[in-house]
Amino acid sequence: MTTDTTPTPTPGEDFMAEGSPRQELAVEQVSDTARPDQWWQVIWSSKKARVGVVILAVYVLVAVFAPLIAPQDPLDSSFEPLAGPSAANWLGTTTSGQDIASQLIYGSRISLLVGLFAGLISTVIATVIGLISGYAEGTILDDLLSFVTNVALVIPALPLIITLVAYSEVRGIWLIVGVISITSWAGAARAKRAQIISLRNRDFVTAAKFSGEGTWRIVFREIMPNMTSLVAASFVGAATGAIGAEAGLAALGLGDSQSVSWGTMLYQSNAQGAIAQGLWLWVFVPGLVLAILMTAMTFINFGVDLLSNPHLREDA
Amino acid sequence: MTLLDVRDLSVRYEPKASRPLDAVQEVSFGIGPGEFVGLIGESGSGKTTLGTALLRLLQRPGRISGGSITFDGTDITDLPEDDLRALRWRDISTVFQSSMNSLNPVVRVEGQFRDAIEQHSSLRGEAVTRRIRELFEMVIIDPKFMTAFPHELSGGMRQRVNLALALALEPKFILLDEPTTGLDVVVQHSILENVRRLQAEQGFAVLFISHDIGTVLDLSDRILVMYAGRIVEDQSAGALLREPLHPYTKGLLGSYGDPRQETVKITYVPGRPPDLSLPMVGCSFAARCPERIDLCLEQDPPLVPLQGGRAACHVAVLQREEGGAGPHGEPKRGFEGPQFVKTADESRSALTNDVVLSVEGVGKVFERRRGFTVTRTEAVSDVSFDLRRGEVTALVGQSGSGKSTLARMITGVESPTSGRIVFHGPDGDQQVSGFRGRALRDYRSDVQMVFQDPYSSINPAKRLGYVLSRPLANYQGLKGAALRERVMELLERVALTPADRFVNRYGYELSGGQRQRVIIAKALAVEPRIIVADEPISSLDVSIRAEVLELLNDLVKENDVGILYITHDLLSARMLSDEVIVLNNGRVVEQGPTLDVIRAPKDDYTRTLLDAIPNPF
Amino acid sequence: MTYFARKFGFFLATLWAVVTLNFLIPRLQPGDPAEIMVKRLAGKDAALDPAQVKAMRAMLGAPDGSLWNQYVSYLGELVHGNFGLSYTYYPYKVTDVIAQAFWWTVVLVVVTQVVSFVVGIVLGAYAAWRRNSRLDSIVTLGSTFLGTLQPFWIGLLLLYVFGYSLGWFPTSGGYEESTPGFNWPFIQEAVSHSFLPALALLIVTPIGWILGMRNTMIMNLGEDYIRLAKAKGLRDRDVALRYAARNALLPSVTGFALALGGVLGGAILVETVFDYPGLGRLMGEAVQNKDYPLLQTLMLLTTAGVLVANLAADLLYGVLDPRARRAQA
Repeated sequence: MTTDTTPTPTPGEDFMAEGSPRQELAVEQVSDTARPDQWWQVIWSSKKARVGVVILAVYVLVAVFAPLIAPQDPLDSSFEPLAGPSAANWLGTTTSGQDIASQLIYGSRISLLVGLFAGLISTVIATVIGLISGYAEGTILDDLLSFVTNVALVIPALPLIITLVAYSEVRGIWLIVGVISITSWAGAARAKRAQIISLRNRDFVTAAKFSGEGTWRIVFREIMPNMTSLVAASFVGAATGAIGAEAGLAALGLGDSQSVSWGTMLYQSNAQGAIAQGLWLWVFVPGLVLAILMTAMTFINFGVDLLSNPHLREDA
Repeated sequence: MTLLDVRDLSVRYEPKASRPLDAVQEVSFGIGPGEFVGLIGESGSGKTTLGTALLRLLQRPGRISGGSITFDGTDITDLPEDDLRALRWRDISTVFQSSMNSLNPVVRVEGQFRDAIEQHSSLRGEAVTRRIRELFEMVIIDPKFMTAFPHELSGGMRQRVNLALALALEPKFILLDEPTTGLDVVVQHSILENVRRLQAEQGFAVLFISHDIGTVLDLSDRILVMYAGRIVEDQSAGALLREPLHPYTKGLLGSYGDPRQETVKITYVPGRPPDLSLPMVGCSFAARCPERIDLCLEQDPPLVPLQGGRAACHVAVLQREEGGAGPHGEPKRGFEGPQFVKTADESRSALTNDVVLSVEGVGKVFERRRGFTVTRTEAVSDVSFDLRRGEVTALVGQSGSGKSTLARMITGVESPTSGRIVFHGPDGDQQVSGFRGRALRDYRSDVQMVFQDPYSSINPAKRLGYVLSRPLANYQGLKGAALRERVMELLERVALTPADRFVNRYGYELSGGQRQRVIIAKALAVEPRIIVADEPISSLDVSIRAEVLELLNDLVKENDVGILYITHDLLSARMLSDEVIVLNNGRVVEQGPTLDVIRAPKDDYTRTLLDAIPNPF
Repeated sequence: MTYFARKFGFFLATLWAVVTLNFLIPRLQPGDPAEIMVKRLAGKDAALDPAQVKAMRAMLGAPDGSLWNQYVSYLGELVHGNFGLSYTYYPYKVTDVIAQAFWWTVVLVVVTQVVSFVVGIVLGAYAAWRRNSRLDSIVTLGSTFLGTLQPFWIGLLLLYVFGYSLGWFPTSGGYEESTPGFNWPFIQEAVSHSFLPALALLIVTPIGWILGMRNTMIMNLGEDYIRLAKAKGLRDRDVALRYAARNALLPSVTGFALALGGVLGGAILVETVFDYPGLGRLMGEAVQNKDYPLLQTLMLLTTAGVLVANLAADLLYGVLDPRARRAQA
């Protein structure tokens, strides 16, 4: 990455003098190999991450411009049911005469929205709990938060999500985002707690105390900047998990009934007996686009991991 | 006949994400049967890489990129792993750096001997157990520890076990890679004694890798000095001590002195080693070399036979060719670079300045609750001393002696369980243990700290300008241009000049010595009355330690600050301090003016510490 | 043995937390689930057993009594094993309904969990040992992709290919005409009905183990004790198994129970696809029919199952890692 025009250090040339009593002796190179690449360079340096970023960009574009791209209204059931692929219905129609291709295109919106917001909320919860608990390590507060984290970690997520959703009458997208967020933060919180504990015991934190910094400033200005890559990785991970969870929930018929998502497509196709009738496209395509999206996001995380784990860079 | 013959060996690292670098460059040397050879060099010199290459244990992205290694007549450079396996441990064994990690944590120690022995010999069952017992006795460990797990052994015991393991099959050659680094001086000594005795008895050859020229000189028959991936000098230990050929060797030797002398001089090598990933013209040491001539900047000096040894230095060769009478003058024994001198008079300055902090009969007991049993450990007991402005008090002791606990109490991190610490500040006498919150913050504008590890004490996410500006903004309310000006002043003060080259750098872009200067600048920022310096030089390379000591010494003189200097090393205590307090197991065993304690030690423990100072003078 | 005491303490505390959470969830909802349930059951025109009504109110919330009193009576009913009546399978008790489905899921989940663990550990360790080889990249990339597949979707595809198109396996249910019990015809039918659901799970569940094991193993391969083992001239197999894998396995042991939660989630989805008569399908039905007593009990049961597995894994870890028993008492 660092193939820039570094001047060849000629001994004797005062390339970077270290002020010593005898200046003329002291030659100091500033090692520019120690200067890390920018974060986007590091991520982009991974081939997998590059592929992931490109795929994700395509999905985002499709979601944003869905009304322009989709040939039909996804909920319009005026087409001939069970039609095969045609110019009007690229992937055919459902048993109730809806256009599968348009459902697929609009479905990207739900997945990306859920991924973005559930990922964000769960990362915020995880970060706050992880930071507080890690910084307060050894106190009652930490014991309490760690206990809550561990409990949240061992409760199986899907049964809990199902139970929570089952009680609510209106199953909008925000309910789903909320439920997924509050059931999926625990693992990330534990990882952050561990990292903050290791950071907190570094001398630079003690040094900051001697500089007269207050606790909040130490946590947010001294420690947090060293955790950005972990936070980013946990956001991407949480978003990926949330997209999967939404699909699973919708596939069980617990999705947002007002809109089309890939999960609800799977639910409908199963409920209408698509498989028994040989309508495999209806089943196959939503699951595939979902898997490709999640794979792309996992690939991006390979790149993000390189930020926090420089020795992994060999593997990229 | 040589047992190990290394010819033109090069090792190249080719990381995908950064420039390739040649960590070892065309290194040639031989080791005879039963010979004890030392290999010294500082961090980054390539000595451990060389050792790893000899064992054929290099991992990607490192590889042997040239040359050959011949062991006992067999070329092992490219020997297939299956054939190599027969040689491993039976003929070539090793003891790694004394990390926690060279034993498998989940297997009992005995099992880790047994697999090696059974792999390479016909011994089985009870015979193996007998052999292991024998080995344990050889390294003076009770054989009952055979059934222990590694984590149940102390650091010193673990390293003895590793030594015993290396001897298990009576190999012809053992590679010792910093086997005692990180252990207590006293423990180090006894382990190395043990090594030397066993080597004399059993006659195996040793390559002993270390950064510590003192121990290498004590133990080795012959010494290789490595700098920037090359061997720059190769001489018998006696000759190297008498007449070092390479200026770098002279610099290493000059880093030590006898603390008992009337006047102690220690030198330092300014600057830092070259970046091996950049192309280099001329001698790699030239930039730091006080004896440099123009030729050094143009031609890379080859390693040539000289005075019965070998050296890679134009000046050394020319001087000997000319017989001392030529334009390059007489060969010089000492390092001609900067030095830090302390005379007896300077050390004898009477302890008369104002007392700024007094420690009065302080004790600290830690209670550890484990289930229902409470274990009490007395870390410090009944310690008294004063810190005075413009004077340095050295607190000397091994790890676990209680010196760091004392530092934590003085800086208000912990409270004493008995006695009291009184700060004689501008607001009258105050007891330190009473400081909380705001008061503690204010107290810290008077008491600052310099840390042991300069690599972890600067926030890697912040620029130096920010790091230095924080205490100024917090304690003095400086802002804007005034703040920036003061930051620049501080950088200049610790000789990081020109300051504008450093202010926007990150800590990891600097060398260890430079980082330590930043930390010192930060401690100075608030013009404290006291600086607690906790082993500030122990993680630096030997050749640059005196530089930091000198800086601290100047601060005391010029800023009238009192320093509590915490160390395990009496030489640096002699160089810096006016008063010495020797701590052992939390108790003061000796206390008095530095010169008196060092020249006429009354306590055995003080003598042990004095003996531990390398003696290359 | 403070390590074991601590782990047992955590188990009890978590169990209490989960039981309490289960008590709170229905009470956090607007409306009164208990009242709704009782009304709906009464609509099924049978005499309601007052004891069962009481249990239901304890489970889901009673209009009378303070929260504390409700909590006490809830705990009381739990201790006596009264979970109320199922709405879907009225007038059967929830416990009876669950007992019917219990073993179907337990066998399915335990078998897939154990198989995935073994397959995942072996593949992950092998991929790490042959790091950067072609096999390693195939395993890593393949796992990454397979790991993102939805069990529900895999189930549908398997059903399409092997059930409908090829007709090799039955497409729904757990058995046909045989009588459930320990007899050959039944076991045969049960196995052929369980095969596709198990396969659907087995495509996804080993992935976590593979990637996790590969990561820890690669990390361990950089440790000094591995280098020393190589320097000792031990055979590769010994270094890989006794030194690297033995240590890399430890974190996986503690992850066992957490993964079990994931397998349970997958089982719920897969059972729904295959109409497999286990707890997952039951949960799906409970949700569809708003059968709250059944749902609550299933939630409690699955969580308790994971907790027990977690305790077992922790205890096993204590035996396997000598350091754990000593650490921070």
